Amino acid sequence: MSEEKKTRFAFVRNLGPLLGLIILCIVLTGMSDRFLTMDNLLNVTRQVSINAVISVGMTLVILTGGIDLSVGSILAFSGSITAGLLSGGQALLPAIAIGVAAGAAMGLVNGLLITRAGIPPFIATLGVMTAARGFTLVYTDGRPITGMQEAFRFLGGGYIAGIPVPVVIMLVIFIAAHIMLTKTKFGRYIYAVGGNEEATRLSGIDTKKILLAVYTLAGLLAGFSGIIMASRLNSAQPTAGAGFELDAIAAVVLGGTSLSGGVGTIGGTLIGALIIGILDNGLNLLNVSSFYQQVAKGVVILLAVYVDKKRKGG
Amino acid sequence: MFQQMRKKSLGIALLLVAAFCFSLLTAGCGGAKKEESKKPVVGLAISTLNNPFFVDLRDGAKAAAAANGLELVVMDAQNDASKQMANIENLIQQKVSVIIINPVDSKAIVPAVEAANKANIPVITVDRSAAGGKVVSAIASDNVAGGKLAGQFMVEKLSGKGKVVELEGIPGASAAVDRGAGFNAAIKAAAGIAVVAKQPADFDRAKGMKVMENILQANPEVNAVFAHNDEMALGALEAIKAAKRTGILVVGFDATADATKAVNEGVLAATVAQKPKEMGKIAIETAKKVMAKESVPATIPVGLELVKK
Amino acid sequence: MTPLLGMSGISKTFPGVKALQHVDFSLRSGEIHALLGENGAGKSTLMKILSGVYQKDAGEIRINGETVEIANPKQAEAHGITIIHQEMNLIPGLTVMENIFLGREPANFLGFIDWGEMKRRTEALLKSLGTTIAATDIVSGLSIGEQQMVEIAKALSVETKVLIMDEPTAALTERETECLFAIMRQLAADGVGIIYISHRMEELFALSDRITILRDGTYVGTVETKTAVFDQLIKMMVGRDVTERFPKQTVPIGGEVLRVENLSRPGVLHNITFSVRAGEIVGVAGLMGAGRTEMARAIFGADQADTGAVYVEGQKRTITCPADAIAAGIGLITEDRKHQGLILGLSVGENMTLASLDKCVRGGLICGEAENEVVAEHIEKLKIRTPGAAQLVKNLSGGNQQKVVIAKWLTTCPKVLIMDEPTRGVDVGAKAEIYQIMNMLAAAGVAIIMISSELPEILGMSDRVVVMSQGRIAGELPTREATQEKIMAYAAGGSE
Repeated sequence: MSEEKKTRFAFVRNLGPLLGLIILCIVLTGMSDRFLTMDNLLNVTRQVSINAVISVGMTLVILTGGIDLSVGSILAFSGSITAGLLSGGQALLPAIAIGVAAGAAMGLVNGLLITRAGIPPFIATLGVMTAARGFTLVYTDGRPITGMQEAFRFLGGGYIAGIPVPVVIMLVIFIAAHIMLTKTKFGRYIYAVGGNEEATRLSGIDTKKILLAVYTLAGLLAGFSGIIMASRLNSAQPTAGAGFELDAIAAVVLGGTSLSGGVGTIGGTLIGALIIGILDNGLNLLNVSSFYQQVAKGVVILLAVYVDKKRKGG
Repeated sequence: MFQQMRKKSLGIALLLVAAFCFSLLTAGCGGAKKEESKKPVVGLAISTLNNPFFVDLRDGAKAAAAANGLELVVMDAQNDASKQMANIENLIQQKVSVIIINPVDSKAIVPAVEAANKANIPVITVDRSAAGGKVVSAIASDNVAGGKLAGQFMVEKLSGKGKVVELEGIPGASAAVDRGAGFNAAIKAAAGIAVVAKQPADFDRAKGMKVMENILQANPEVNAVFAHNDEMALGALEAIKAAKRTGILVVGFDATADATKAVNEGVLAATVAQKPKEMGKIAIETAKKVMAKESVPATIPVGLELVKK
Repeated sequence: MTPLLGMSGISKTFPGVKALQHVDFSLRSGEIHALLGENGAGKSTLMKILSGVYQKDAGEIRINGETVEIANPKQAEAHGITIIHQEMNLIPGLTVMENIFLGREPANFLGFIDWGEMKRRTEALLKSLGTTIAATDIVSGLSIGEQQMVEIAKALSVETKVLIMDEPTAALTERETECLFAIMRQLAADGVGIIYISHRMEELFALSDRITILRDGTYVGTVETKTAVFDQLIKMMVGRDVTERFPKQTVPIGGEVLRVENLSRPGVLHNITFSVRAGEIVGVAGLMGAGRTEMARAIFGADQADTGAVYVEGQKRTITCPADAIAAGIGLITEDRKHQGLILGLSVGENMTLASLDKCVRGGLICGEAENEVVAEHIEKLKIRTPGAAQLVKNLSGGNQQKVVIAKWLTTCPKVLIMDEPTRGVDVGAKAEIYQIMNMLAAAGVAIIMISSELPEILGMSDRVVVMSQGRIAGELPTREATQEKIMAYAAGGSE
């Protein structure tokens, strides 16, 4: 019983992915003397942060039993809007706020399509994914946006107490999300909706409101990460974020969250995102051809999920 | 129960590692990298290896690196600016001596160049340039001149009269901008030539075909196509063939193997030969000079020529 | 005479659990043999071994005296053993005949499916069962009872010597049950041996020839139904005396708590008007499809009623969603525990507090202590057998799951509790406990509406009986005047 308890409320649901991450780090340390340096670790976590922030939103969505394919497009959308406003002379904070709000609005559209129009999440977010990409291309005329004020670069490139700002942001978001999922009614209801939407509704909970909030949050986080990326690259790319939804889904699933909903932890997602990021970084450091890197990533994701499934089934 | 769970967790972990090692082995690099090499290392951050032009560039660089006693680390950004940023950060982590960058996007690459500057690693750009940061040398084909070559050829072949389509590269990429500028300057000289469609197809063959199909639908009369690279030109040829349209002059850019073959077969009217291998080679030679603290020119134009039958 | 089927010394261990220990069982051809035991007694495990789903660890299976090994369901089928599961295994989007011949479609000489042949054979089967289902009906359009018929037809479409039926009547109406029994008797007369698992004791007495009782994975005994006595069977099952089947306590009945007036929804509910008083248990009887569940859901706001009014303690309440109902003090225990009552992947505690989480929130965050306190109190009060509050609810037995659902509603402190089939799929011991909980609630002044398809339960536990028929209240009578015959007469819509 005590173990059940531990696994339900723990930051990480089972030790498999964590152990995998640790062993991965040990192996890489053995193979490259550049891997285990403070510099490189900060470097990796900074590279991971954008996918990780998106994955937080994706975790919430997948916990409800849904999926969000639009996060990559929303990332580009929000990044472009903020960059566009900034290069047009808008002040820093309003520009960021508007960009984040634009992402949240896209997420809200997802939520409305799913809860009001009854369109399945896969299709609804597929539609928004395409439309948001289109809006972005229209807004940017297909060209990268540059010419933002220098202060904007702090968000993606600055440091707070020696730690890269995106990493700080990522940690804050993870801790907040963890508390939200384990300690608030909203978090509990997210698990409940994913576990059994009808039973949750019949317990007097407005499940549609929960779903709306979850998709809106996913859009908001994707938008925010898009702004971080625009800051990091000091330019907003209209084609940014293509395929990011898949990396986010992979991180969530690697972290042990069930695609059928109701089961998973936010800490698992952090580990999943780190595994993907460190795999990329390590294979880079080891100078493995980029083609094989993709093979490696695919194999790791499939194996991890297969083993997890085996573990649950057996 | 707990015991069992722990065993299973360990199993997952081991499998993850096994998968990782497996991919290293299949990559054939697992053992090789362990050997200490005393050779100076040069990093090459390439925009994409999903395009034969850049594969040629890499091969030229590889051969030159071997000839000059340098070790070359190649990273592929898969046309994603943020991935390229990560690639370059990882090169900085490896403390390579020089970083040669073939940017995905001229503007988005700036923070990466600045990061390298900060780490005191000299940066050389190839093919595309960087819009900021400190670059010791920018190696590129003279794309404006190349565009002009193509334009002049077209004017001559059409006898100064006709409807022309321009398939553009990735919007904002300097090669696309320059080739377009050169081409448009050349055809402006002939008053009878009108550009009826001008659409981006992102240097991609499949997109080139799709965009051309749409253009052909919209324009019953097209006399010539200029594509900012061969991939798009070959895609356009497919579209033309599928639409059973004839007499359309297609000019590409880059002179890749496929395109050269098409020119020899008479399908493709012409292509402007860049010399990607030459570019890779010059990049490595420049890197060597930079390492030896020799001075290098800020821009090194690489010659172009028109390939026609 | 050698029995058709003999199982002896069957043992099966799952990690940490001895599911079966040296269990014996035999079946004659032409016999209906009931298998009785509480949930977790090992009935299903035994049947899964027989049908090839699980492998036995020890013991022997003989068919017609010959020892056989059954390694997988295919082999079981080859020995003429067919199982009809409690949960149906039909594919809703396919036709009846496609379901019946799934995986064994008759082919014509070209190798394509011979639809004509398939249809002919299906029609013959359905006709022999005396149903009016057409071979080309889509399964999702059939009632539960009709789907059960399709399952039986599917079982009979292969040569069946041993037919296993696991709680086949759980979802059937009285009439459908009668029809099913007639078919079972016919099959037995034709020489098929039928193993029958059910919690409904009345059915066992009406139907079976012998009864074998299992308890905690061990064999307790086999009795001839003719000579069996109800109390003796219960004692064998539970291992102790269950003194009363329906331990109804009389409590003082207070003032009116709930009044429903003219609740209507076209085609479903027509002018439903009734009231319930504090401490009163009102039994709602009726045939399947009479609108009982629909009425409960309409009162609770799960489905919107078109017209009508609901008063709680004299005050009119507008109920458009479950949250409104909960705020008004109404709780609904749904008939379908797994799909509408519980979140199986969450813990006992999390399920319990789901409808009343507000009470455990301190300063925006869920207070673990406050929550644990509420949960521990209810585990204790309802005698829920669970290793702890953090146990996942899916690991509990049906009876304990049902108690968790009841606990969920008790944490909301309801004034009115609607219980839709509160003891369905629950074993005898847990049933008695649920009745005790109802007594406790009634004593505390909660008004209870109990919807049930088991007439003995209605007669045994209610103060008053409301009978529904075709979306209307067909009759209402105090329990002391009610009999099964009177209720059935109202339910059939005969007397107005």
